Amino acid sequence: MRPSHAARPHGLQPPRRLRRFAGHLPRYAALLAAIGIWAVPVLWVLATSLKARTDIFTIPPRLWFAPTLEHYRTALGTVDVSRSIANSALVGMLTMGLTLLVSVPAGYAYARVRFPYREPLFFYTLFTQMAPPVGFLIPFFLVLSRLRLLDTHVGIVLIYLTVTLPFAIWLVTTYFLDVPRELEEAALVDGCSRLTAFVRVVLPQTYGGVAVTAILSLINAWNEFVYASVLTGARVRMAPVAIFGFLTTEETLWGPFAATAVMIMGPVILVAFVMQRHIVRGLTLGALR
Amino acid sequence: MTRRTQSSADARQAPPGVLAAPAPGALRAVPRRRPSHDEARFGLLLAGPSLLVLGLVSTLPLAFLVAVTFFRIEVTRPWATGFAGLTNYATMLTDPRFWHSLRVTAVYTVTSVALQVVLGLAFALALAGEMRGRHVLRTAVLLPMVLAPVVVGLVWRTLLLTPRYGLLDYLATVLGVGSHSWLGDPTLALGAVIVLHTWQWTPFAFLVFTASLAALPVEPFEAAMLDRATAWQRFRYITLPLMRPAIVTVVIIRTIVALRAFDAIYAATGGGPGTATEILNLYAYRVAFNGLNLGYGATLTVTLLLVTAAMTVLFGRLRGAVESPA
Repeated sequence: MRPSHAARPHGLQPPRRLRRFAGHLPRYAALLAAIGIWAVPVLWVLATSLKARTDIFTIPPRLWFAPTLEHYRTALGTVDVSRSIANSALVGMLTMGLTLLVSVPAGYAYARVRFPYREPLFFYTLFTQMAPPVGFLIPFFLVLSRLRLLDTHVGIVLIYLTVTLPFAIWLVTTYFLDVPRELEEAALVDGCSRLTAFVRVVLPQTYGGVAVTAILSLINAWNEFVYASVLTGARVRMAPVAIFGFLTTEETLWGPFAATAVMIMGPVILVAFVMQRHIVRGLTLGALR
Repeated sequence: MTRRTQSSADARQAPPGVLAAPAPGALRAVPRRRPSHDEARFGLLLAGPSLLVLGLVSTLPLAFLVAVTFFRIEVTRPWATGFAGLTNYATMLTDPRFWHSLRVTAVYTVTSVALQVVLGLAFALALAGEMRGRHVLRTAVLLPMVLAPVVVGLVWRTLLLTPRYGLLDYLATVLGVGSHSWLGDPTLALGAVIVLHTWQWTPFAFLVFTASLAALPVEPFEAAMLDRATAWQRFRYITLPLMRPAIVTVVIIRTIVALRAFDAIYAATGGGPGTATEILNLYAYRVAFNGLNLGYGATLTVTLLLVTAAMTVLFGRLRGAVESPA
């Protein structure tokens, strides 16, 4: 592999391990740079949320400080924030549940069942994810206000299905395509009905994929902002909208803002950490958002 | 070059062919036998609810949206409401702010997608193969992709870019670039939001390229080593051509997403200062929900949708050409 090195007299070379380390140095520098670029801003938010007011605005920035939870108390003491987080969690869960209920059978049908117009319908499903949220705000606003569903949990959950459903159907279909066909053929030979073969035999094989779909749907609904900003108000305020409350033109409350940001990002980061492999696959496979 | 032969686990994760929406025919794996009546009913029963929901929350609103573009609907002037024919479109074509926002959108999209591809490829090449600390990296790069874009935008606006107190502004001062009003200065703001978008989405390019690098065949590289090709030659004449489908896929997906970007830029600058970072999406939002001119706002978003759809078709052709070279 490296003839030039081998040709050199042995005694003149630095110890092997050191040499190997030096050879890898640029790669580890790149690794550190990448981790720094993408992790430091997030860690910085966490640090800020734990700093006392005076420490936040110290220049140069303090890396060592006495951590305090006062900003979390302030943020959660604001009725708006604690309620909006509860709202976001509830709406996220409901959206996730409905999304799975509808997307899992659809995914199975697209992957395994022959029915008329299957391919055009599948592409129609994919096409719906091009929905421009800013444009859709206009019809949604007009229709929801007519139905008296503005600023209600039901209304926003229905709207969030436009965000989660096309992606979920697509993702779940790819997971069903991965299941060996022999499995359900054997089940059918054994006398199972199509429905039993799907629910009892094929579905258990894709629990992992369904879980990833569930998590990504939940994250999408939890993070959504455009629809929430216009279609919900004081009653059903969502967390990504409520956080703006700390950054008004009169005052900028960095501490409580950072604390709220941590509370919004924290659960997602935890999930991302635990399921990183699966989420990476799900995101790179179908991230047509 | 032993790093091409790394664990096949990574390779299995994302075969390069299926990174985006499947090509036509992707569903053909279903058995060839003639669909029975029961089978067809079963399929429609399973897919039906999803079609019903998508029809109600996606296609119907789209039809409504297109219809609205032919009307004059201004909430502040209800008496002026009425059928307007193509007036909204005519207004748009002579609206300098529309053309400006189209230019901003183009600059924003092209620059940030190019940066994502170049940086993603550079990091993927530098970090290919087994390494200690890879799982830390995997978690780190996942962060910007899964966090709420609106929160990310706000964090950049405050904790990172605020003059004097922001972390990045402090770094710029230390590095001798000096403290600037990054988001308040019209000439810097567009660059700043491009950097922000690039930060958010380079991880996507990195992850896709890492997976497809790991799946490259080893033989061409072994042959090149025997021929004593330089590292640059191996990259230029082997890696790059083999990676082309993955690069095209990333460009397509990232372009479509960049065209639709809204949350982060809204949170960071709101389109300002003035109209310096006003992409088409933001202009439409301002017209419809600050100016309450729904008809014209709808026209702008329909235009954006048409641009996005045209790009999708164009890219689809392009990808077809790449995957089956003449």
